Amino acid sequence: MMRSDPLFTLEPEEKHQLQLERLQSTLNRACRHVPFHANRLGVLGLEPADIAALADLQRLPFMQRADFSQHYPYDLFAVPLRDIVRIHTAPGTTRNPTVSGYTPQDLEHWRQILARAMKAAGTAPADILQIALNPGLANWGRDYKDGAESMGASVIPNTQLSVEKHLMVLRDYKTNVLITTPATAGHIADCMAEASMGPASLSLHTLILCGEYSDSDFRKDLEERMHVRTWQHYGLSEVPGPAVAFECGSHNGLHINEDHFLAEVVDPETGAVLPEASEGELVLTTLTTRAFPLIRFKTGDRASLMKESCGCGSTLVRMQWNSRRTDDIMNIDGVNVHGSQVIFHLQNMLRISTDSLTFRVINREGKKMLEVFIRMNQEIFSDEIKELEKLLRRCEDRLRENLGVPVLIRLVESGTPS
Amino acid sequence: MLRIRNLKCFYGRIKAVKGVSLSVNSGEIVCLIGANGSGKTTLLSSVCGLLPDWTGEIEFMDKSLKGLDPPSVVRAGISLVPEGRMVFAPLSVLDNLKLGAYTMYKKKAGDAVAEDLESVTSLFPILRERFDQPAGTLSGGEQQMLAIGRALMARPGLLLLDEPSMGLAPMIVEKIMEVLETLRSKGLTIVLVEQNALTALEAADRGYVFETGTIVLQGSSEELLADKDVKRAYLGKDYGDFYDAV
Repeated sequence: MMRSDPLFTLEPEEKHQLQLERLQSTLNRACRHVPFHANRLGVLGLEPADIAALADLQRLPFMQRADFSQHYPYDLFAVPLRDIVRIHTAPGTTRNPTVSGYTPQDLEHWRQILARAMKAAGTAPADILQIALNPGLANWGRDYKDGAESMGASVIPNTQLSVEKHLMVLRDYKTNVLITTPATAGHIADCMAEASMGPASLSLHTLILCGEYSDSDFRKDLEERMHVRTWQHYGLSEVPGPAVAFECGSHNGLHINEDHFLAEVVDPETGAVLPEASEGELVLTTLTTRAFPLIRFKTGDRASLMKESCGCGSTLVRMQWNSRRTDDIMNIDGVNVHGSQVIFHLQNMLRISTDSLTFRVINREGKKMLEVFIRMNQEIFSDEIKELEKLLRRCEDRLRENLGVPVLIRLVESGTPS
Repeated sequence: MLRIRNLKCFYGRIKAVKGVSLSVNSGEIVCLIGANGSGKTTLLSSVCGLLPDWTGEIEFMDKSLKGLDPPSVVRAGISLVPEGRMVFAPLSVLDNLKLGAYTMYKKKAGDAVAEDLESVTSLFPILRERFDQPAGTLSGGEQQMLAIGRALMARPGLLLLDEPSMGLAPMIVEKIMEVLETLRSKGLTIVLVEQNALTALEAADRGYVFETGTIVLQGSSEELLADKDVKRAYLGKDYGDFYDAV
């Protein structure tokens, strides 16, 4: 696979040198231009030069999602604003969203990363590629579009369409490659069945699944129903992008783009680095990012690393992605939603206590959404049903706008057990 | 071919290079760019054995260069074209070239020296015309050619050049860069240290950007040429001058 890409088959020693060089210059840049990073090292009495080997990375502290919100909007940028060409916003852990920036070089790297991941999934320049992601993953939609265009594929960019319309485009435009989340893919397959549309009516041969983990049974089912091969991509919806890791033709774990990211797996409780093949929390460090470097970012995703070389010939380390998470983040059709944020926005609007709120992810007619139960109290109560409904719709709108996912709010009687 | 890890170089108590890692693959032209005093020349001196006070790892062809004196480094296959040419001014051009082949004579490879003289003079025909002239009477460009020719006489696998464009007219610089490309096509690996970032990046495949004894950026020449940080470094402006208060 992709023998033309020399980084695919780097000898371990060469890869180690490349990563060390890039890690050191990333640390030098980060500590020089971002007080947050310099202070974190300073407190521990460290300086970038103390990181003399990849293993020394463990001496550095972790970055958390909360750091993004705390340093809103630009305090984690490692280049002046005038060098930034794209500013992206994603929901944060609190009131402040996560803001990340990209230099032209960063965007170029993403194009290369995406093109590599799509080529590994057998996508060719002659393919017609359709992107169907929800608004919360709009930045991924842009990255996929840019990557696919750079490799010469014909792209149908991400547009907010109903599943029926997506299906119409799939069929009429003769799409070969579909990029979407597992939930949406399942929904499309259901719609095909309902419309008695057989897989032969589509030209689809490749389904790239991103945004959330999907197990092999689910994928097998999709492959049989849609007559496609499925490929999983792993990315982060806040920063930095969609295909941090991707599947090759061997379909045995996801290759991490190790020339751009350094991956560790740590014990989520103690933070200790775990040996190869043990499952723990995935921690990522960017190696080439200019604008928004991440140093030991705790992703909240559970994974294990496989270092032995792959059947495809690549020496890029692989990760086995696990569906569970280490934090309270809910994944709704690929978008990460923080429980703390749901509480923050509703408390702000309704002045209710945390214990009168419960929420969960539901699947409604094939579509994943956030369902929130609010226990009725004096503050909210109104004897006019219309007023109550208005209030609930306002709350739904606010959550939808801030979280980027569909929301359904239900009122329950006070005293109802959660 | 050349692999450096965590190199720290000292002048007494002053640390001039503060933990640098870089690598050069066979057949590449790699440039090191950065402002004056950022540690580029110090790094070259350490590789050549001219500055013994360093820690870290320097490996050439998988062998450590730790503790090697300059003649041993030359014998290992590394030649330096020093900053400011450093030709032996009173000696003739021919003698300068022959001195470059000192290690070859030691190996009793006198015939090879004659061959090398031939190839160096075909690379720089002007040197043949000036064979008997004292090197000090040559123009700056000719002295630079002589310095490169002298370095090549040791039959290096890796050629290090320190500021070859310094003080030379653009046309001469262009000519020298062309020669480097020719040498690379013959299999020579080249490390080019330059303050003149534009010239260096146009000639090189890859580059490393130095800032106060550390590497802050690396990448292909195209990447670095497009980089705003590099443009600022090249212009010699302070980062702060450009920072927009937000």
